[in-house]
Amino acid sequence: MVNLKIDGQEISAPEGTTVLRAAEAAGITIPKLCDHKELTPYGGCRLCLVEVEGARTLQPSCTLPVSDKMVVWTNTPQVREARKFVLTLIFSERNHFCMYCPVSGGDCELQNSAYAEGMTHWPLQPNWQPYPVDASHKDFMLDNNRCILCRRCIRACGELVGNFTLGVEERGARTMVMADLGAPLGESTCIACGTCIQVCPTGALIDRASAYRGREKDTQRIASTCAGCSLGCGIVMVTRDNNLLRIEGDWDAPVNEGLLCEVGRFRPLDDPGERILTPLVRKDGALKAATWEEAIAVAAAKLQPLAGKNGAGVAAVASPRLTAEALCAFSDLFGHKLGSASLATTDESIPAPVASTGALADLKDADCVLTVGADLVADHQVAGFFVKRSLPKGTRLIVVDAGENRMKPLADCAITPKKGAEHSAVAGIVAAIKGQPGDEFSKQAGVVADVIASAASMIAAAGKVVIVAGPLKGVSGALSELAGATGAKIVSVYGKANSRAAAAYKLAGAFEPKGKQAVFLALGDEKPSQKLVQQAQGAPFVVVQAAYASQLTAAADVVFPVETWAEQEGHFVNIEGRAQEARRGLTPPDDVWSSLRVLQSLAQKMGYELTADWQKGF
Amino acid sequence: MAKPKVCDDWLAGCAGCEMSLLDIDERILQLVDLVDLRSTPITDLKTPDESGVDVGILTGAVNNTYNEEVAHTMRKRAKIVVALGDCAVFGGVVAMRNFFKLEDALQRAYVETESTEPGSKVPSDPELARPMTVKAVGEVVKVDVNVPGCPPEADVIFYALSELAQGRIPELKGELLHWH
Repeated sequence: MVNLKIDGQEISAPEGTTVLRAAEAAGITIPKLCDHKELTPYGGCRLCLVEVEGARTLQPSCTLPVSDKMVVWTNTPQVREARKFVLTLIFSERNHFCMYCPVSGGDCELQNSAYAEGMTHWPLQPNWQPYPVDASHKDFMLDNNRCILCRRCIRACGELVGNFTLGVEERGARTMVMADLGAPLGESTCIACGTCIQVCPTGALIDRASAYRGREKDTQRIASTCAGCSLGCGIVMVTRDNNLLRIEGDWDAPVNEGLLCEVGRFRPLDDPGERILTPLVRKDGALKAATWEEAIAVAAAKLQPLAGKNGAGVAAVASPRLTAEALCAFSDLFGHKLGSASLATTDESIPAPVASTGALADLKDADCVLTVGADLVADHQVAGFFVKRSLPKGTRLIVVDAGENRMKPLADCAITPKKGAEHSAVAGIVAAIKGQPGDEFSKQAGVVADVIASAASMIAAAGKVVIVAGPLKGVSGALSELAGATGAKIVSVYGKANSRAAAAYKLAGAFEPKGKQAVFLALGDEKPSQKLVQQAQGAPFVVVQAAYASQLTAAADVVFPVETWAEQEGHFVNIEGRAQEARRGLTPPDDVWSSLRVLQSLAQKMGYELTADWQKGF
Repeated sequence: MAKPKVCDDWLAGCAGCEMSLLDIDERILQLVDLVDLRSTPITDLKTPDESGVDVGILTGAVNNTYNEEVAHTMRKRAKIVVALGDCAVFGGVVAMRNFFKLEDALQRAYVETESTEPGSKVPSDPELARPMTVKAVGEVVKVDVNVPGCPPEADVIFYALSELAQGRIPELKGELLHWH
């Protein structure tokens, strides 16, 4: 520990801490712009200048490490004067038109800093040079007029996301943030994760959906869990008057530490189509609005006689985006009570998950990562960010995938086995590590033995090895053996938000509507696939539980309007088996029920009591 | 003590600041009691007394040679010059014109606008003021008090004016300091 004095206060901080962080920990605020708690110090804006006794000039506290007996003053007249001067220069550099900037009025760190210094005007006017605006990206835009060149976006893009799309061109006053080698953002290698927007201190990077729809003080912030995939990233829903303005990554969430991907941040804001606002029942061939009582009675009267009829009974399918509570009730009702022979999720093609032995956090300090059947660019992207950002630090990446995998170009070793022979490739690696003959395996996998040998030597040389396993049939055994031989942790990525819970509730069968008397589809807010539509359409009696109108609801005999992901309350079980809370960010329309309530009411009407405990096993 | 003499004039602006002044509602009666309101653009006397006034308020940006002259007159005759609103303080919306060449802006406004009759020309009568690069008032004359805002809120205007009326220089901070 190092002992120092800041503004007269005795402080001790671990060696290597910056003066800025040490001050913050002691409750002393030093204004700053380029600094961000999740990013490495940069020392670009000079707003955090402090006086250090004995130092010749003012020092940037964000890059200055603490040292013993250091005496720091953060609020002397000289410091305040310098701060005002720094802000004056920043404002004069570009065009900060606060009156029509969406972040003005509390959301702009630059403006807030100026207010804090009591600046009523700019002592130096800008030179009215227009700077480029890049509005080529569908989700957000970059206005260089408002950019202060703090490089938070650039650091976030590289250090946090590992995508390295953003950088700067030119130098001095001509410095400009840009994507790739000058490509428009919309045509660049940007993966639209939006982390740059979340860290931008000004209005230079703004998302299109929420701009001008309300300032921070007009909004509510609700921490919840993303329903995009099985990682279960922590999100913050920013809402105003029951409208979802935008989604931010929750910096405090243990899973993702503030990061989100396009699927979690932007796609939930796309127009989902027509909402169903009242229960519907088919009468004389046409769907008519009905009361909940009536709709439940009609469905119950049809479904109850099918109890225990197995092959000729009811086929039921649920979306893995529903809460664990709803999925458990679904499984209880259709599995235990009605004895359905066909219980599935809309993700029915995925095999049972490989067991996880590690946590997502293990990816952050792995020396070698092996992915098997998992494309972390296409899916579970935030896990991919953890891998991609560690590659420049020397982490080795081995990708085993029979098909296309966008992590392959980044890999130190890319292995493309024959489809279905992935386990042979893994077994070959195990054999090579153990020094056993492995020709047979490489032949089965259709992979050159040298490639397998080089993967094996990378794994053998690495300290901490993490295996990211996708949902592949038949690889479990080989992966456990590899884990056993190397002490590797297995992180198993699997389907959608609640696929793991659905599998635990035995909803992993196939959807087989053929010959069944009725089908029940609990879609929630999921858009049905064409296959599902075709499968369900021919059934004699179709019940659909959905938030939005689709071909399925049009073909249904009974439609129950239910809540969307943003309205439902419950839990998602992520790939680590962590049951995380999904909170209600938006109030559902009046006549819309939660999926859980529909299932419970339906069960009650049929005389059943749903007693299964959703938490069992988690 | 004699009531302070206050004058107001507008430059290139939208009169939104004046609307915001009216937004102080019945408090305007208190202000009128405190000051001797001399010239404003909407009262009979249009220019500040040659003998001098205490406070001169300017709204709008300096956009042409006439605005420049008005600003200079105000500076000459007022002890305290107040720049009221974002246009006067920063250049504001008006200053967006600075991103274009002046000739292009005039061409667009007087010749190319969809509603313009064919054959129209950019006015060039020597008696007309000449447009120029848009400036904040502070770039043309010394400003003593800046009251930013687009427009400044009624409460901000009331605070600033009542302080000035009572012989104090207003200090805008906290809730009173807004640039939008």
